[in-house]
Amino acid sequence: MKNGFSVFLAALVALGLSWCGFVLGSVKQLGTAKQESILNSSDTYPLQPTGNATLGLQVYRANGCAACHTEQVRQDGVVCDVVLTAAGKNPTVVSNLVSTLKLTGLTKDEADAASDKITDAGGKVEIQINATGVDIPRWGVRRSVAADYLYDNPVQLGSLRAGPDLANVGARFPDLNWQLVHLYAPQTVATNSAMPPFRFLFEVSKIGEAPSPDALKFPQGFAVPSGCEVVPLPEAKQLAAYLLSLKADAPLYEAPFTPVMTKP
Amino acid sequence: MNDEAKSNCPVGTGDEPKATGSTVPMWLFALMLTLLFLGGVYFDHHSGWFSAQVYSPYVSAEQLELYQPKSGAAAAAAQGKKVYETVCGICHGVDGMGKPAMAPPLAGSEWAIAGGFHRLAQIPLRGLNGPFQVEGKDWNLNMAPMGAALSDADLAAVLTYIRTSWGNKASAVSADDVKAIRAEAAGHPAITGAQLKDMPE
Amino acid sequence: MKPTETTDSSTSEIDASCRVPLLALFGGAALWLVVGLALSLAAIMTFHKPDLFADCPFLTYGRAQAAANDLLLYGFCIPAGLGVMLWIFARLSQAQLVLPLVPAVAANLWHLGVLIGTVAVLIGDSTGFAWLEFPRGSSVLLFAAFLLIAVSAVATFGARQKSELYPSHWFLLAALFWFPWIYSTANLFLTTHHPVRGVAQAAIDYWFANNLVFVWLALVGLGTAFYFLPKHAGRPLQSHYLALFAFWTLILFGTWCGIPQGAPLPAWMPAASAVAASLLIVPLIVIAVIACKTVCGANVSCKGGPFCYIKFGTAAFVLSALMLIAESCPRFSRVTEFTWFGPAQVQWQILGFFAIVMSGAIYEILPGVMGFALPFPKFVRVQHWLFMVGIVLWAGSLAVGGLEQGMRLDDPQGLFADSTHVALVFLRAGSTGLLFILLGSLLLAANIFAMTFRWKLALFKRMIAYIKSPLETGEVKS
Repeated sequence: MKNGFSVFLAALVALGLSWCGFVLGSVKQLGTAKQESILNSSDTYPLQPTGNATLGLQVYRANGCAACHTEQVRQDGVVCDVVLTAAGKNPTVVSNLVSTLKLTGLTKDEADAASDKITDAGGKVEIQINATGVDIPRWGVRRSVAADYLYDNPVQLGSLRAGPDLANVGARFPDLNWQLVHLYAPQTVATNSAMPPFRFLFEVSKIGEAPSPDALKFPQGFAVPSGCEVVPLPEAKQLAAYLLSLKADAPLYEAPFTPVMTKP
Repeated sequence: MNDEAKSNCPVGTGDEPKATGSTVPMWLFALMLTLLFLGGVYFDHHSGWFSAQVYSPYVSAEQLELYQPKSGAAAAAAQGKKVYETVCGICHGVDGMGKPAMAPPLAGSEWAIAGGFHRLAQIPLRGLNGPFQVEGKDWNLNMAPMGAALSDADLAAVLTYIRTSWGNKASAVSADDVKAIRAEAAGHPAITGAQLKDMPE
Repeated sequence: MKPTETTDSSTSEIDASCRVPLLALFGGAALWLVVGLALSLAAIMTFHKPDLFADCPFLTYGRAQAAANDLLLYGFCIPAGLGVMLWIFARLSQAQLVLPLVPAVAANLWHLGVLIGTVAVLIGDSTGFAWLEFPRGSSVLLFAAFLLIAVSAVATFGARQKSELYPSHWFLLAALFWFPWIYSTANLFLTTHHPVRGVAQAAIDYWFANNLVFVWLALVGLGTAFYFLPKHAGRPLQSHYLALFAFWTLILFGTWCGIPQGAPLPAWMPAASAVAASLLIVPLIVIAVIACKTVCGANVSCKGGPFCYIKFGTAAFVLSALMLIAESCPRFSRVTEFTWFGPAQVQWQILGFFAIVMSGAIYEILPGVMGFALPFPKFVRVQHWLFMVGIVLWAGSLAVGGLEQGMRLDDPQGLFADSTHVALVFLRAGSTGLLFILLGSLLLAANIFAMTFRWKLALFKRMIAYIKSPLETGEVKS
C-alpha cells in the first residue's frame, strides 16, 4: 500500500465489516427484544426478577462468579418421541403397531409417518419434542436463548466450567438454605467441590436471646463454634435470591420442547 | 554511542530492514478461494440465514417451524387455560373463586365437578339465568352464552380445564362431546335456575 | 535547508529522542507485568487450597483472576506495544520522535488508569465483561492516553522522508486505528448508563475480546516481528507481497472470529465465526512462510538474545492461532468449549507470543535508546529460558488439562466431578510454569528499573553539578 491513508482505509473496511455484522447486527436483532410467550400458553417469559435477585446479579458480577461458572446450556440436536394417548376403537391393532414401530429418537418426518399409521388404525398419539445433547441431562431441558437474558444487566454468560453450569440452578437446587450453606462451606453440601468458601459474605455471631431466623442450618457433621450462629449478610441473601431465580425451563419458539406436565 | 552499547546481536543499528519483491504463489490464492467456497457452503447449511430465531441445532426457519410441538394433552391443557383466562376468568376469576355480584365460584362447585358434563356444557352454550345455589350460597345473576362463539376444541379444552383445576377432580371433555351437546342445545333459550336442578348431569 | 544538512537525524539522535516516553511506557509495563503475574499466581493458589482467601474478598478468585488478566493486557501488553511502535516508527521514518513529551505524559495517564481499574476490580467494582472489567473512570483515562500516544505516533510516521511503506507500517498503523474503535464501541454499548439490552451485550463483548486479544496483539506483535526478524537474520523480509497478503487476510478474517460455537446467539453468529476461523489458516500459513523464509538458512545464531525471543514468539503466535482455529471448529469445540483450553490459547497469545516478542524488542531497543549497555546482560538469556519453559509448562498444562476435562464433559455418562478433578491436576502442575514466568518478568523489570535509575541518577548528578558550578568570571561585577 502506498501511504498511511490507504492503510487507514483498509483497517476501516475490515473492522467496519465486522462491526456492522456483530455489533450493529446483534443490537438490531437482540437489543430490542421483548418478553415472548411460552409455547402453547398465554404466559410470557421471562418474568421480571425480584429486587433481591436483581441486586444478587450485581453481587455475582462483583465477585467474578462468571470466572468459574457458565450460565448457558448447549443443545446438540432434537428428537421426537411418539406417545400413545388413547387406544381408540381397535386396541389390538394399535398395540401391535406400537410394539413393532420405532417410536423414540425419531426425526420429525419419521415421527409424522409413525403417528399417521397409528391414527389411521384409530389410536390417538402425541408427538413429543425433546432436546438432546450432553448439557441437557446435566444442566437443563433446552438450550439457552436470547430471551433467557432479557433482564440481565450485565449478562454473565461465563466461558469456563470450573464449576457447574448455573442456567437452571434455581430449578435444580430450589432450597434457600442449601444455596446459603453452599456459599459458606461448599464442601459440606457438594462433595469434592473445588469452590472456594465465601465466608466474607456471612457473619458468625453469638446467638442472642433466640436464634436468628436467617441463621444457616448446616448438615450433620459441620461444626459451628458453640453458642454461635452463621448469619448471611445482605449480599449473601441477594446472591442466593439471584441463584434461586435462575430457571430456564419454559418452552419457547426458538427452543421448543414438550414439557413434562406436573400436577399443580 | 560506544560499541559496547550494542546488545548481543550481530546487526548494525543503522540499517533499516527491507523487503523483497517476490510474488505470492498461486496455490495460496487457490487455497483461500477453496476455503471461501467451503465456508460459504457451511454457512448456507448452518446459519439459518440471519434469522433471529434460528439457534443451533436448528439450521433453518422452516425446520424450526416443523419442530414446534402442536398437539397433545399438554397443549390442550395450556389452550384450555388460555381460553379460560381470556373468556371466563374476567367474571369467574383466574383462580376460579368467582366474584361477588359477578359470577359464582367454579372451584369446588358441585355443578362443575358432577360425574357427567352434559349439564355443565350447556351452561356456556345456552346461557344461565339464576336464582340457584352454588356451594350453599344463593346466586341470582344472568350469564350470556359465552361459549357459543368458541370452537368445539376450545370449549372442550375450557371445560376440561375447569373440571381439573383448583382442586377439582372430574373427567375431561372431548371436542366430539361438545359437538354433540351443541347440536342438542341448538335453538334452546337460556337455562333458568329452576330448570338447572332438573337437568340430567 | 540544504539537502546535505542533517534533516536525517543520526540513529543515536533518533534513539535518544525516544528515551523519556519509552522509559515511561516500558517502566510501567514491566511493573504491571510483575504485579499481574503475581496476582495470577495468587488466583491459581485458590485451586491448590480453596480455603486460602475465604475471608478476604479482595483476592477471591473471580476478582483476582479478572484483575490479573486485565493487568497483563492493559498494564503490560498495550503500553509495551505502543512503546515499541513509537520507536519503530521513528527508526523507519529516519526522523526523531515527534512531540516526545506527549507520549511521556500519556504513559503516566495510562498507568494511572490501569492502577485505578485494578483497584476497582479488586474491591468489587468490575463491569462484569470479560477483558473489559475496568470501570468507566479508568477506561476514559486509558482511551485519552491512547489517543495522545497515537497522535505522536502518527506525527512521527508522517515525518518520514521515504514515502514507501515497509510492512511493519501497515500492521502498526492498523493497530493504532483498531484500538480506539473497538474500545470506544465496547464501552459505549456495554458500560455506560444505558447499555444494550440482553444477550447482545455478550455478542459485543465476544467481538471486542477477539479484536483486542487476538487481532490487536497479532497486528502489533507481527509488525514488531517483521521489523526485527530481517534485521537479526541479516536478510530482507521475504516478501513484501506475502506480507501484504498476510495483512489483508488477517484483518479481514481475524476480526470475525470470537463467537463461541455453543453461545446463546442466533445460529448465524457462531457460523460466521467458524467460517472466519477456518479462513484464518491462510494468513497463518503465509506468516509462517514469511518467518521461515526470512530466518531459516540465515547463518546467525541468537545466543539467547533478543533474536531468540522474536523467533520463539512468532512460533508461539502460529500455535495460538492454530488453537483458536481448532476451538472454532464445531466438532472440536464440543470438547474444548468451557474448558481450560480457551484460557490456554489466550495465555499462549498474551504471554507466549506477545510478552516474549515485546521482551525481545525491549532488550533490543533500550540499550540504544539509553546510550549504555544493559546493567544485567546475563539476565536476557536466563529470562529467555525461564519464559520458554514457563509458558510451555503453564499454557501447555492448561491446554492438555482442558482437553482432558473436555473429553470427560463430552461423555454423556461422565460425571461432572471427574472433569473438574482431572483439570485441577493439570492446573496445579502448570502453576510452576507461571512461577517461572513471574521470575523471568522480575529479571526484565530489574533491567529496566536499573537503567531508569542509572539514567535518573545521571540526570540528578548533572543537575547538582549545574547548580554547584561557579559563575563565569565575566559575570562578576565589581
